[in-house]
Amino acid sequence: MSRPNVLLQVAQRGGSLVSFVRKLWQHPQGRLGLILAGWLVLVAILAPILAPYDPYDVTQRAAKGLRPSWQHPLGTTTTTGQDIFSMLIYGSRVSLMIGIGTGVALAFLGALMGVMAGYLGGFVDNLIMRVVDVMLVIPTLPLIIVLTSLLGRSYFVIVLVFVIFGWTGLARVIRSLVLVLKNSNYVKAAELAGASRWYIMTKHILPGTSHLIIMNTALTSAGIMVAEAGLSFLGLGDPTAISWGKMLAEAQGGGALLFGAWWWIIAPGIGIFLSVFSFMRIGIVIEEVFNPRMKASSSIYKLFKHLNNTYLDEVFRSMEEEETLVREPPDRSNAPTPEGCHG
Amino acid sequence: MKRSYVIKRIVYAVFIFFVVLTLNFFIPRIGVQDPAERYYPPQGGMSTIEYEIIKQFTREQYGFDVSTFQQYVRYLQGLLRLDLGTSLRSGSPKVTTLIAQRLPWTLVLSVSTLVISLVIGLLCGTLAAWKRGRWQDTLLLNASTISVALPSFFIALMLSFYLGFRLELFPAYTNPNMVAQFDWGWGAIRMVFTNAALPIMSMSLGGIIGYSQITRNSVIAVTNEDYVITARAKGLPQATVLYKHVLRNALLPLATSIGMNIGGLIGGAIIIEQVFNWQGMGTLFLEANSTKDYPLMMGIMLFLSAFAILANLVTELLYVILDPRVTVGDKR
Repeated sequence: MSRPNVLLQVAQRGGSLVSFVRKLWQHPQGRLGLILAGWLVLVAILAPILAPYDPYDVTQRAAKGLRPSWQHPLGTTTTTGQDIFSMLIYGSRVSLMIGIGTGVALAFLGALMGVMAGYLGGFVDNLIMRVVDVMLVIPTLPLIIVLTSLLGRSYFVIVLVFVIFGWTGLARVIRSLVLVLKNSNYVKAAELAGASRWYIMTKHILPGTSHLIIMNTALTSAGIMVAEAGLSFLGLGDPTAISWGKMLAEAQGGGALLFGAWWWIIAPGIGIFLSVFSFMRIGIVIEEVFNPRMKASSSIYKLFKHLNNTYLDEVFRSMEEEETLVREPPDRSNAPTPEGCHG
Repeated sequence: MKRSYVIKRIVYAVFIFFVVLTLNFFIPRIGVQDPAERYYPPQGGMSTIEYEIIKQFTREQYGFDVSTFQQYVRYLQGLLRLDLGTSLRSGSPKVTTLIAQRLPWTLVLSVSTLVISLVIGLLCGTLAAWKRGRWQDTLLLNASTISVALPSFFIALMLSFYLGFRLELFPAYTNPNMVAQFDWGWGAIRMVFTNAALPIMSMSLGGIIGYSQITRNSVIAVTNEDYVITARAKGLPQATVLYKHVLRNALLPLATSIGMNIGGLIGGAIIIEQVFNWQGMGTLFLEANSTKDYPLMMGIMLFLSAFAILANLVTELLYVILDPRVTVGDKR
């Protein structure tokens, strides 16, 4: 059986954004993810209409520490009397904005770096991959804390720092795919026709990696949402905004544990859970739709590895191994060196 | 062949460490050019000359009286003597002393977490793989889906609420006298472990599920190998097949993932330590952050990165020893 190049096959299955959404919708898990994410986005956009009170109103001295009632579905905070339900609704804005914004920015940077490393090769490739190696050993959370304390605690800085230190995973994955795409006939044809390197990278190679980029955006968005909640929980997020992580920190500081106000802790927790869960689902389903070799049952394992920036590497490695049984790609010297170093 | 690979890996690790170290030196200098004005803003009733003297004195104290390059050389010289610099705290303690004070407390948490999650993860993972497709397996899959989306500090808060405040099984916050009163007595050790129970539980949950998944998948992968089928066909008892043939080979990916995780173990507890107010490296780092104690912060960062690099290196080298099938080459 002549085995066609698996990666090329996977790459050519990519398509427009609309077809992505359609395929997602046909998958029951994907539909769940889409509905949840869509609902959260709606809540975030309509927050001023949906929220019964002004969550920034810290002057309700008479309504402090109320238990849940019809007026205040989740009660009020013990410190300033803010309505927790309204805070919960407004909190979705920060989580989604940071998550999606960082995810998209990361996708751009990671794709650019990956395509450059893979297609240009040589010095550029070496440089980018050494930078990736350095980034992998620096402890991320402490570094983010240092940088936010140096550069300020606005959300712009936080997103910037997440982007600077998060692109490495995607770049490695894209690079592996580009190394294969590079040797495909249509890229060769374009090269012979005299197309510029930039033209080939943007018109021929980038579209081939689109499914990976979209999947990665969904998964990193989920990861960033957790990271942002953690940062806000430590009190290192934007001090002026209301976010779920900060709500949890306020609940702990305001004695929710002591007063038995479990709703004050559960509410932001569920918020974080739902947003992360929906984006994770979307990412995993995209992966399953475009890469049926990955079994649904082990997708969570892959997610764990994804959070370690390693799992797709492994997938491609295994694919390459199978592929080399049949046909030795002409350019082996640039192939990713497995050596088990980061897997 | 093998020796050249080992040397190459070590040289590369040293190179990475050098880059990290250089970054570590220059990152805090993005913000702070002259610590004198930052830490001692001009105060009323002080003449310009007095203030200049104080500034000069401060610069000398923090080593900012020479050019950046000379500072860098000094920093490297200090590192050769294992000196990570001086903290800006009162009493000017050495960064290494502060780290040495806090490190054991973090290790109590992270080592117990690693051991617990490994043991339980191995058991659950093997069980799920053995009962593939039955309810045990499905339960693990569902638990993983949920636990990945739940941040560990949220789990920590819930545990602290139910087990700490409601049921009063374990202390919901760390006893502030725990560190001061520690005397290696039986009572002190017991106190450490009751206080550590909740942090360890909240940190282990993710680890248990992660390791179970890795074990499950690699056990299933190995079960389908020819040599396992042969072993079964020979009529070996199930237990022998499981221990001698399946688990031995299935543990390889697990070993790699432990190596990867050990690097992050010391730094990974920042948020959990903060939730329970556990006096470890994580809280030390946050204290340094809130007082803008950059020498201390960068010292901790360097320590953590060095640890991660070392753990990675050891994993890579161990992998070659553990799995003779891994070909040690430059290309593949």
